[in-house]
Amino acid sequence: MKRKIFLASTISAALAACSPIGTKLNGNQHFHDALDSAERLDERVLGTRGLAALYRPQDISADFPIDSLDTPSDSGYERLAASGFRNFSLIVDGAVEAPAAIPMTQLVHMMNVDQITRHDCVEGWSAVAQWQGVRLADVLALARPKQNARYAIFHCFDRDANDSQYYESLSLQQAAHPQTILALRQNGRPIAADRGAPVRLKVPTQLGYKSAKWVKRIEVAASLQPIGGGKGGYWEDQGYEWYAGI
Amino acid sequence: MIGMVREQKTVYRHSLATRLTHWLFFLAFMALVSSGLQIFNAAPFLDASDKTDIHRRVLSIDSPREGAGVTTVFGASIPTTGVLGWTDDGMGGQAARAFPGWLTIPSYQSLADGRRWHFFFAWVMVVSGVVYIVWSLLRGDLREIVLRPRDAAKILPMQLYYLRLRKEPPAHGKYNPLQKTAYTLVLFVLAPLIVVSGLALSPGLDAWLPWLPHVLGGRQFARLWHFVAMVALLGFFAVHVSLVASTGVINHLRSMVTGRYRLGAHDGVGV
Repeated sequence: MKRKIFLASTISAALAACSPIGTKLNGNQHFHDALDSAERLDERVLGTRGLAALYRPQDISADFPIDSLDTPSDSGYERLAASGFRNFSLIVDGAVEAPAAIPMTQLVHMMNVDQITRHDCVEGWSAVAQWQGVRLADVLALARPKQNARYAIFHCFDRDANDSQYYESLSLQQAAHPQTILALRQNGRPIAADRGAPVRLKVPTQLGYKSAKWVKRIEVAASLQPIGGGKGGYWEDQGYEWYAGI
Repeated sequence: MIGMVREQKTVYRHSLATRLTHWLFFLAFMALVSSGLQIFNAAPFLDASDKTDIHRRVLSIDSPREGAGVTTVFGASIPTTGVLGWTDDGMGGQAARAFPGWLTIPSYQSLADGRRWHFFFAWVMVVSGVVYIVWSLLRGDLREIVLRPRDAAKILPMQLYYLRLRKEPPAHGKYNPLQKTAYTLVLFVLAPLIVVSGLALSPGLDAWLPWLPHVLGGRQFARLWHFVAMVALLGFFAVHVSLVASTGVINHLRSMVTGRYRLGAHDGVGV
């Protein structure tokens, strides 16, 4: 009996002590910075290598969850949507030799990737879809990034309830991955309004939040610091890892 | 009393490396379980599949409506309000949360923080585990705890002894055949499984080593393996603590802190 009480109390105490101690430590900035050091290690070890697995058409998920900010509803986006995004041009600027506004027709003309890949959400679910689009590297090459350029920052149409604009970023090395694309079509159809129309990023080697929807402008930059909260993305500014390969 | 203990014979049982890695492993394991449950809460279901597939769902912990928690295992639903599904939100209230706030790090819902903890302590666990294995291999300690073919015949007699169906345990070294079975399972099955299944959840690593999620039955299946291995390791932990409790808590704790184990009633009992 004594033994059972000891056993039960030790294990519950160990488990129950974790949460309050952990929660308290979690609020300590130095401790949090120490935890964050694992991200740099993960990025160094895992990096961006290899190719994401390709799937067959029969593997495509029947119900791909929609798990993002709300579909943009500002008048600018709605006007573009009303005309089927015929008047949309993707801006590529910042630390580039040749800032560009690439019209939709040109993007369609540049389409060179057709891949069925798995999308892994940071929450834990996975879904498979077919994505057709343009290799991001090709779009960036049009604008010719400058020598000092290190990042591609994706500014999006969507905003949250506090009017914070969604944005994401990749290093130019990650951006050069052959499966990193600007997708124009999902499962054989133009990307739907609630799934990021007309252009969304697809980064199959990282978690879903990197694959920004509703991309309107790509800014090439030497640093992520001056943008948004300085962490390189909407979710990153809220504590998620910038390196989302894990 | 203190004088008496001093006079009793002690043996040097655990090397500094063993003791250090034991407690580091324990610390990391607790942090990983608590932060892992936090991460699970963001998608409180497990599928035996590659992509998410409700038809291959093994476990889900839901809140079908305000104030109700339901746990479904292999299609069988059990009301678990207050325990799982609808639980303590870590902020003094109740909410739709799979695992309760008193079990998670942080106590309140925060996937971002849970991940930071998890990925930091995963390194602590792997490094302390590898140091322990390499150290024990070099010292030859692993021989004492790894189950070998000649131990196999002794497993049943040992089990019978524990069930009081046999008077004497079979002859064995520092650890008996059942303990060796447990340690071998933990070190060479569960620990590698929890590491490999965790790694298979990384889309970056999956691109690098595509066979990784594949051998586990897919990415969601890897999530399921990861959870199953965690539950099994918690089971080992429970048995481990109960054996410590029944064969001299203070003596065992001392030997795992200072290295010295006092010989006496439970001579040579390992846990």
